[in-house]
Amino acid sequence: MEMAPRRLAAIGLAVVLILGVGFGIITSIHAGGSSGSPAPQVVTLHGLIGSEKAPFFADQSVKDALLKGGFIVDVQTAGSRQIAQADLSQQDFAFPAGIPAGSKIKADHAGSTTYQPFYTPMAIATWKPIISLLEQAGVAQQRSGYVALDMDAFVKLAQKGTRWTDLAGNTAYPVSKSILITSTDPRTSNSAAMYLSLASYCANSDNIVQSDLDVANVMPIVSPLFLKQGFVDSSSEEPFDDYLVQGMGKSPMVMIYESQFVARAAANDGSITSDMALMYPEPTIYSKHTFVALNDNARRLGDFLTNDPGMRQLATEFGFRTIDAAGFNTFVKAHNLSVPATFVNVIDPPTYETLEKMITNLEQQYGTP
Amino acid sequence: MRMHGTAARLGLVLAAAALAVGTAACGSSTSTVNPDDPNTITVLAGSEVKDVQPILDDLQKATGVSLALTYTGSLDGAESIDGGAATDAAWFSLGNYLRLLPNSSKRIVASNKIMLSPVVIGVKKSVADRFGWTNNPNVTWADIEAKAADGSFHFAMTNPAASNSGFCALIGVATALSGSSDAIDTGKIDTAALTSFFKGQTLTAGSSGFLADDYVRQQDSLDGIINYESVLMSLNSGGTLHESLTLIYPKEGIVTADYPFILLNKAKLDAYNKAVAWLLDPAQQRRIMSDVSRRPAVPGIKLDSKFPSQTLVSLDFPSKLDTIQSLISTYLNVVRKPASAVFVLDTSGSMDGVRLDNLKHALTQLTGGDQTLTGQFSSFRSREEVTFITFSTQVNDVKTFTIDDTNSNGPDMSAIRDYINNLSADGNTAIYSALEQAYSTVGQEIATDPNRLYSIVLMTDGENNSGAAAGDFASNYQSLTADVRAVHVYPILFGDGAVSDMKAIASTTGGTVFDAQTTPLDSIFKQIRGYQ
Repeated sequence: MEMAPRRLAAIGLAVVLILGVGFGIITSIHAGGSSGSPAPQVVTLHGLIGSEKAPFFADQSVKDALLKGGFIVDVQTAGSRQIAQADLSQQDFAFPAGIPAGSKIKADHAGSTTYQPFYTPMAIATWKPIISLLEQAGVAQQRSGYVALDMDAFVKLAQKGTRWTDLAGNTAYPVSKSILITSTDPRTSNSAAMYLSLASYCANSDNIVQSDLDVANVMPIVSPLFLKQGFVDSSSEEPFDDYLVQGMGKSPMVMIYESQFVARAAANDGSITSDMALMYPEPTIYSKHTFVALNDNARRLGDFLTNDPGMRQLATEFGFRTIDAAGFNTFVKAHNLSVPATFVNVIDPPTYETLEKMITNLEQQYGTP
Repeated sequence: MRMHGTAARLGLVLAAAALAVGTAACGSSTSTVNPDDPNTITVLAGSEVKDVQPILDDLQKATGVSLALTYTGSLDGAESIDGGAATDAAWFSLGNYLRLLPNSSKRIVASNKIMLSPVVIGVKKSVADRFGWTNNPNVTWADIEAKAADGSFHFAMTNPAASNSGFCALIGVATALSGSSDAIDTGKIDTAALTSFFKGQTLTAGSSGFLADDYVRQQDSLDGIINYESVLMSLNSGGTLHESLTLIYPKEGIVTADYPFILLNKAKLDAYNKAVAWLLDPAQQRRIMSDVSRRPAVPGIKLDSKFPSQTLVSLDFPSKLDTIQSLISTYLNVVRKPASAVFVLDTSGSMDGVRLDNLKHALTQLTGGDQTLTGQFSSFRSREEVTFITFSTQVNDVKTFTIDDTNSNGPDMSAIRDYINNLSADGNTAIYSALEQAYSTVGQEIATDPNRLYSIVLMTDGENNSGAAAGDFASNYQSLTADVRAVHVYPILFGDGAVSDMKAIASTTGGTVFDAQTTPLDSIFKQIRGYQ
């Protein structure tokens, strides 16, 4: 093991799922350990966070750094959609994965303040032979230092029900499945909601979905991208773990957060093999982790998470991007990762209400009880 | 005895814990369990994790966390959790039912995949050679279907309503034969193709472990077996096969079981996290690979060379419970070989009263009275022949019903209910004469219709005190032709029935004992239906 077991455990384990009602997983994050001396005034803050950030807050060096800044942070995890609808009266802050949920919470809580301490673009974990096939099909293109998946072309390909075996000259992946990107469950998970945002933009002639008419027009195009997958997992860790463990036959393409791949690759634990590759949807979309402070102490925490250089460095080690772009670039270079420094073509997600309408529509098609 | 509310739910779990007779029945691994101990996690588990027990013993030594496993069927377990059964966790080879049933899905606190095993087909080496399937990466489910359809391939597979290996296989076959490898949807089920595929299924069972044992017993009349890769590997290394099995991973894709360990009780989160961290540690994952032949569930662990390294195309599960329901019911009522179920029923004097009432209720439930999923899947099926042989001092009656209409209020089910309701109890107990009659009836049926799956259930509450003796029956059984001897007796231990006699009957005929002394007869009959 080249890497400290602590960090590896933080990245690999703690797949904690919350489904249905009642978030309620309590990840007690009391600072233990011996390092560092507590700041004079330490406050304990309670927050409801997206499950993808649980490993970050469970990490001992993150706990130590927070304690140095005067914070003990006690978090419960839930899906971002659930956080947006949750009763936050017992919480000091909420920290969902995306802007739509963040702005909904801000709107519902007068006097709250939002921070965006870190973000990560949506990316597609895939395989070198798959990229070659997609390039031949004109759906993927090399950019400087990375590969882009043309989302408009992909959505059209998927709309036609194209299978892998339909691609001309495909000997590398002769599988009779429809060409789909594996995602999480759009009913519960933010990463699937980000994928829905992207796909609906493409289905709406490269416009962000806004009106009910837009929703009605795009749903027949985007629904099969989810429904044809069959059973989907609820947390973003699961499909990425399946990709890492079960390989190309299980997961030719998986919609993930870039941070997941970067953290794994940086861990250098043997899980990222030479035939794996990262590809970026074009346009892409950022998952901007939005910290909503509900009181003054939480505002101090939001400020600390955003501006403290030590916190930024830790976030970077978990694969997140922060306002310190140079720090991220240094980190990925140090781990020989080829990721774009900046993106030209980035779209915004629809509003919370519009996204809800699309998700509710999918929910009905799934026949959710 | 009638229980209500929490007591009844607890009773269900405890009753399942007491089911410790025979290989196929369920059982608990622990004798003294304190569910309030923060380091004890009570687990409702599938028998498919039984072989992991030695590793769990070491988990306890290393972390202080003990998993108290109570074994039950997968759908059965999911339904009791959905109904509120008191258990801290669940551990089956698949989590699909728990995630799709409305109440149980809300109880899930955390879930981690512990290990993996694809469900594949083991084909006898000589057969694989003859078909050109040895070292051939292009064998498809459709190729297997063709061999099954023309009568040249006979295989064993569990009942998909009762066992996850059969369920995975059914999903895989139905998906592959639907014309694309996308997740199956109700509208895409190709019943004609599935019917030809299942022409080849000549052996069924309610659990993967029992099926493997039964395959060993009947290997000379079979060409292959569908089961977990891990079970097939242990058959190959077990020294009981006359001929090794070549593992085929069909090209269209396969379904992989991922053994999610699912936490339901938030109060046990700390213990759960400790157990999961230990089980997912690379050292334990390697041990799981070597000791129980499961593939690792965590990234970065090199696959042992005993597993083929080819890319395995993975087929997906349906997203809707409806789809699963219609697939299983298509299997049971349309595409599988029809069953011929013989029920040998004790109507001696000791059965009079509550015992006979319980029996009547349990059988009535099979005529469509039970609307749960397990109830629907254990009902008498379309095309099935159901024979009742009643006995007391001697064999009293042999009565056969054929099911054309599975409607609970239709004529066929009503006729069975009328028959059951008219049973009365009197006289002595001629168990072995009744069994001789059962084999004679089955023998005549097989002669006219060999394309059914036959089974005999024996329900008695006492000891033999009339008619043929045990030895008479044993020699009578040995004189039967091989195809008739292949039919098992599944004795139900009930009332004052003698454990040793029931076990001897099961062992002579290749069946297994079901214990209704501690578990309600209704659930026992449901379980037995998995074997018919």
